[in-house]
Amino acid sequence: MNRSDTDPLPSSDLFNKLGGITRQLHDALSELGYTPKLHDALNELGYAPKLQGAVEKLPDARSRLQYIARLTGEAAEKVLNLVDEAKADQLEITRQARELDDTIARVPGLSAAMPELRQMAQAITQASERNDARLTEIMLAQDFHDLTGQVVARVVQVAATIEEQLLALLLESAPAGKPGQDHVLVATSLQGPVVTPEGRTDVVTDQAQVDDLLASLGF
Amino acid sequence: MATPMKFLIVDDFSTMRRIVRNLLKEIGHADADEAEDGAIAINKLRNGSFDFVVTDINMPNMNGFELLAAIKKDEKLKHLPVLMVTAEARKEDIVMAAQGGAAGYIVKPFTKATLEEKLANIVKKLGL
Repeated sequence: MNRSDTDPLPSSDLFNKLGGITRQLHDALSELGYTPKLHDALNELGYAPKLQGAVEKLPDARSRLQYIARLTGEAAEKVLNLVDEAKADQLEITRQARELDDTIARVPGLSAAMPELRQMAQAITQASERNDARLTEIMLAQDFHDLTGQVVARVVQVAATIEEQLLALLLESAPAGKPGQDHVLVATSLQGPVVTPEGRTDVVTDQAQVDDLLASLGF
Repeated sequence: MATPMKFLIVDDFSTMRRIVRNLLKEIGHADADEAEDGAIAINKLRNGSFDFVVTDINMPNMNGFELLAAIKKDEKLKHLPVLMVTAEARKEDIVMAAQGGAAGYIVKPFTKATLEEKLANIVKKLGL
C-alpha cells in the first residue's frame, strides 16, 4: 500500500529522519569548529560510527569561530590605532592652518594684496576638520566587531540548542526505548543585534524609535 | 564644551570600549575607566569615584540589567546616571531599562551626535 504525503510517518522512519537531521547538524557544527557534547551519545545509539574519525580530525572546539573573532578584533584594533595617529596629525594640521591664517591677517596690507593666502589657509582648516569628522566615522564603523561577534555567538548558541533538543527527542523516541534527556535548554533572554527587523513589531530599528518609546513612558 | 565628568565604560568588547572612550574624549570627557562586564564594573564603582556609567547589556558574568539593578540598590551608587548603549533592540528591553532606572538608551550602531545629544539631555535633566 502506498503512503500519501499526509499520512504520518511510521515511528521507525521518523526516528531515522530525526537521526539524519541530527547527524547533519552535528557535522555542520563540527565544520564550524564547534564540537558538540553529544558525540558519545550518538555513538551509543549507533549513529556515529564514522563521526569518531571526523571529529578527531577537527580543530579544537570553537577554534574556528575564535579565529574569526580574533582576526576581526585585530583588524578593528589596527584601524583604531591608525585613526588615533591620523587624528593627532589632523589636529596639528588644523592648528597650524589657523595659525597661518592669523599670521597673514596680522601682516599689514598682505591680506588685501594677496587675499588668496588667507583663503588657502582657511580651506586647509576646513578640509582638515572634514577629514577629522570622517576619521570619527571610520572609528565608529569598527563597531562591526562587536555586532558581528554577538551574531556569530548567537547563531552557534541557537544551533547547539537545536542539536541538543533533537538528541533529546531521539533518545526519547528510540525504538529500543532508551531513556531520554528530558531537559530543555533555556534560551537566553537577550537577543543581540536584530539581523532582519522587517515585519517585526517587537523591536526598534533606529534611535528615533527608541526615543519615541522612552517618551511614551515619560522619559 | 561639556563639564568634565568621570565615566565608567562597561562592555565585553574592547573595540567598543575604545570607541566609546574616544567619542567621550572628543565630546570633552577625557576622564574614563573601563570594565569588561557588570561584575568588574560594580567592583570598580564601589571602590572608586565616578559620575556616569555607560554600559552594554549583553555581557558575561553580570549583564547590563543586573548591573543597573545593583547600582540602583546601592545607597552610595544609586544616584549615578546609567546610559545603556546596546545592540538589544527589543521594545521590552528598552522598557525594562527605563523601569529599572536607566537614564538613557542608545541602540548600536550609533553616531557621535546621538551619544552627545543623549549625554547632554541627561546632564540637563539631572542638573549635573
